[in-house]
Amino acid sequence: MEKADSKSRILVEMKQVTKAYASRKKLFTGSSPQVLALNSIDLSIAKGEVFGLVGQSGSGKTTTGRLLVRLESPTAGEIFFNKTPISQLKGSGLKTYRSRVQMIFQDPYQSLNPHLSIAETVLEPLIVQKIGTPDTRTEKVVHTLDTVGLSPGEAFFNRYPHQLSGGQRQRVAIARAIVLEPQFIVADEPTSMLDATIAIQLFQLLEQIKETFGMTVLFITHNLAAARYMCDRIAVIHDGHIVEVNTADNIIRHPEHPYTKQLIKVQPGFKYTR
Amino acid sequence: MSLLSVDHLSIGYQTKKGMLKAVDNIRFDLEKGQSLGFVGESGCGKTTIGMALMGLLPENAVILGGHIRFQGEDLASLTETQWQTVRGAKIAMIFQAAMNALNPVMPVNEQIKEAIITHQPDISKTDLADRMKELFDLVDIPARRMKDYPHEYSGGMKQRAIIAMALACDPALIIADEPTTALDVIVQDQILREIKKVQEATRTGLVFISHDIAVVASVCERICVMYAGQIVETGTRKEVFKSPRHPYTRTLLNSYLSLDNLNDIRVPDMKESPDQMIDTDECRFAGSCAYAKGCAGRSPDWIDISPTHKAFCCNPDMIRRGHGKS
Repeated sequence: MEKADSKSRILVEMKQVTKAYASRKKLFTGSSPQVLALNSIDLSIAKGEVFGLVGQSGSGKTTTGRLLVRLESPTAGEIFFNKTPISQLKGSGLKTYRSRVQMIFQDPYQSLNPHLSIAETVLEPLIVQKIGTPDTRTEKVVHTLDTVGLSPGEAFFNRYPHQLSGGQRQRVAIARAIVLEPQFIVADEPTSMLDATIAIQLFQLLEQIKETFGMTVLFITHNLAAARYMCDRIAVIHDGHIVEVNTADNIIRHPEHPYTKQLIKVQPGFKYTR
Repeated sequence: MSLLSVDHLSIGYQTKKGMLKAVDNIRFDLEKGQSLGFVGESGCGKTTIGMALMGLLPENAVILGGHIRFQGEDLASLTETQWQTVRGAKIAMIFQAAMNALNPVMPVNEQIKEAIITHQPDISKTDLADRMKELFDLVDIPARRMKDYPHEYSGGMKQRAIIAMALACDPALIIADEPTTALDVIVQDQILREIKKVQEATRTGLVFISHDIAVVASVCERICVMYAGQIVETGTRKEVFKSPRHPYTRTLLNSYLSLDNLNDIRVPDMKESPDQMIDTDECRFAGSCAYAKGCAGRSPDWIDISPTHKAFCCNPDMIRRGHGKS
């Protein structure tokens, strides 16, 4: 087992993070009951690690991802990135943080702007962050498209999302995420909408990117087999609580929490045909 | 006589660029009480087959040839009025998006009653009430939730209600098109058990369509693997998954991540899918096939491996020999 908990190597740390959403107000009583999406969770991810977060719908796994890229702020607790607290970041501090942390969303049919060409989509982060000159930006975009397997990059420049397949769209989403060379990527179910033959190619791509750029990845999924394939360590989340954290192999071979055992039991496989 | 017998069925879509052959010369049979799974990737034509069996093909679809014989009747030649006596009553469908398949402004029990009354207008009130209770029991929804609206149900309960609706008129054939795709693994497991239980209890024929090979493996006795509009391999679940012969089936199995095949994962080198606008006899998988040698220009043929197991390939020696353990 890798020593993931040696303090100096920790990139992302969540300390007793709670996230509550107010549900609809009751008409007469005026009280608004709260839904606890995350209930005081602790999590630390080491530099260069691929960390898996596994759970079923409504377990809080996507909320965790959204908190880490600061699309949401925690109700209580603190999130540290390189030992700096991030939950109160505003203005230029937040903008700098967003250049280091990027997200890949689940649905490649909805996460790309249909009005932007592929070049514009991947260029936008560079323009927002004011990196390079127009010429070097274009060069960077071509290079990034090549990296994600959309080559030659120029051929995709003037195409629009509707002209691409689901797998190609997700590659564009990955290109948009890595063009700023972030230190940390949150991938939220990046392949759950895609066919198996396409999914496995994207996993390979994410692995290559991680190796090349030395990125740290949080991989969110409900598929334990995918998490085991991709990740160094896996955390199992249930009802807003992290119930178990261990190395990927140990989680599958020696699950301790009853919920983990249940998740393993319901994974589709070929046990019927053995 | 088979419950369902599909013979040389071809279906095309009229597009701006010409005719796109979505289903090409398909044949299969299904007996009463049996389950048959169709597995393949997006665009392989599996949903088009399901829609053809329900008489729900979109307007630009054309049945180019072949027959769909169901209880002796050729469905391919029915008019819309004739379809209305078949659809829902003899053949029913479990749709993919349980979230959208129910009417949001109508209580769930009213929607299911509607299906029964449409096909049995003379049914008495007590018979109807008995049937409703029976249906909700069958899919494990408590009777006190019958009058709820769809938004009061969880995703899994909605899918159960859809199953109850499909069973309402006691059909002889059920078509399930990706019934668990939008659900998470735990609910998926429950719904798959539900479908199997119900199918065994009612002895209904089941056509089960999914892109997820492990899901198909867990439900169906017989499997058809589809690629680019054609069936490329068919056999019992054990034959197809334990001893896959067609190179495409092997590619599919090798790229599927499950907890029990992790060491056999191979990342495929898939090219762009073939152009289905072109009418050709040549193998459609040749461009991505790892074993294609001298296949170019040749037409694949059905090769028997056992009485139930066969594959559609240009290379009979390789298919019969198998590739060793996959």
